[in-house]
Amino acid sequence: METVLEAPVQSPSLLRRAVIGRDPKRTLQRVVILVAICFVIAKFVLLPIRISGPSMLPTYSEHGVNFVNRVAYLFHEPHRGDVVAIRLAGPSIMYMKRIIGLPGETVAFHDGHVFINGKLLDEPYVRFPCSWEHEPRTLGNFEYYFVGDNRSMPQEDHTEGKASRERIVGKLLL
Amino acid sequence: MKWAFRGALAVILIALGVWIWVTFFPGPEQAIRKQLAQLAKLGSFASNEGALAKGLNTQQLAGFFTQDVEVSVDVPGLQRVKLSGRDNLLTAAMAVRGNLSNLKVDLLDINVTFGPDKNTAIVNLTLKVQTNGERDFTPQEMKFTMKKVNGEWLIREAETVRTLSQRLNKMNRLNGLGGKLIVSDQDLGA
Repeated sequence: METVLEAPVQSPSLLRRAVIGRDPKRTLQRVVILVAICFVIAKFVLLPIRISGPSMLPTYSEHGVNFVNRVAYLFHEPHRGDVVAIRLAGPSIMYMKRIIGLPGETVAFHDGHVFINGKLLDEPYVRFPCSWEHEPRTLGNFEYYFVGDNRSMPQEDHTEGKASRERIVGKLLL
Repeated sequence: MKWAFRGALAVILIALGVWIWVTFFPGPEQAIRKQLAQLAKLGSFASNEGALAKGLNTQQLAGFFTQDVEVSVDVPGLQRVKLSGRDNLLTAAMAVRGNLSNLKVDLLDINVTFGPDKNTAIVNLTLKVQTNGERDFTPQEMKFTMKKVNGEWLIREAETVRTLSQRLNKMNRLNGLGGKLIVSDQDLGA
């Protein structure tokens, strides 16, 4: 009968197991996969953004953080009332506005109220007093009308107007 | 393990080679991007910039534009500005440096389209300007027409782009000048 000597198995310390796991190679693989998934999601699906400026008050406060859902309009076109991100030259800086006018519609402001094709638009999200005036304006086939919720500011200081569909990057997630 | 090390080394060497090639022999698009990065760097200034550096940097900044440059700035809430010629641009740049304590300029999302002759290019970008260390900034979409002059890409035209066309704002401002004006969509570039 042979005597077999077996070295005692040294189990990794608790700290090491907590940080890199029992199998470092496998942990590394998991980290790489996780980073790749996060990168793809942040770049192509949910774009993280920081809000700057008061034009969407009180719905969205300044310096808040949100996400732009870039795949929101893959299967349907944007709806009235959607808060969307509109690109300038690219997605590094975008305008955050609400869609009030859809392609082919006529948009007007009178005494601070929005009229679509001559009918008053119900806008519960506008909380601040407004006295904007804007002559009727008809949108093209691929154009939308965008405006912020904070209409208490002077109209000339508020960036609003029409832009084409291709400028819409996505819909705000939260 | 040895093969993995060799593979990693090969990838690093290839990346280094590509970087050296792009740095020393840039293609036209890289040359334009590099030029614009330098422009943004020279356009920015800190509050401790000395008088000599101020003058020197402004002179250098003007060198990024052609002699017959045309600049058109139309930003909501501000008066429309049109500048012609490098000398006028230099004067305006000096005035900006004199009036502001500091300025940070970033040129983002640069899209370059070359003309058929390959000696002109249209550059669409977003200009981000921060003044006096404020957290908020003013974004503005811009369109540059660039021209290759003596092997260097210079800005021939610079104009603001209206991302969201605003008819009434412009009419208000025009009416504010004292006349009743009926402005068509074509006139507004809508």
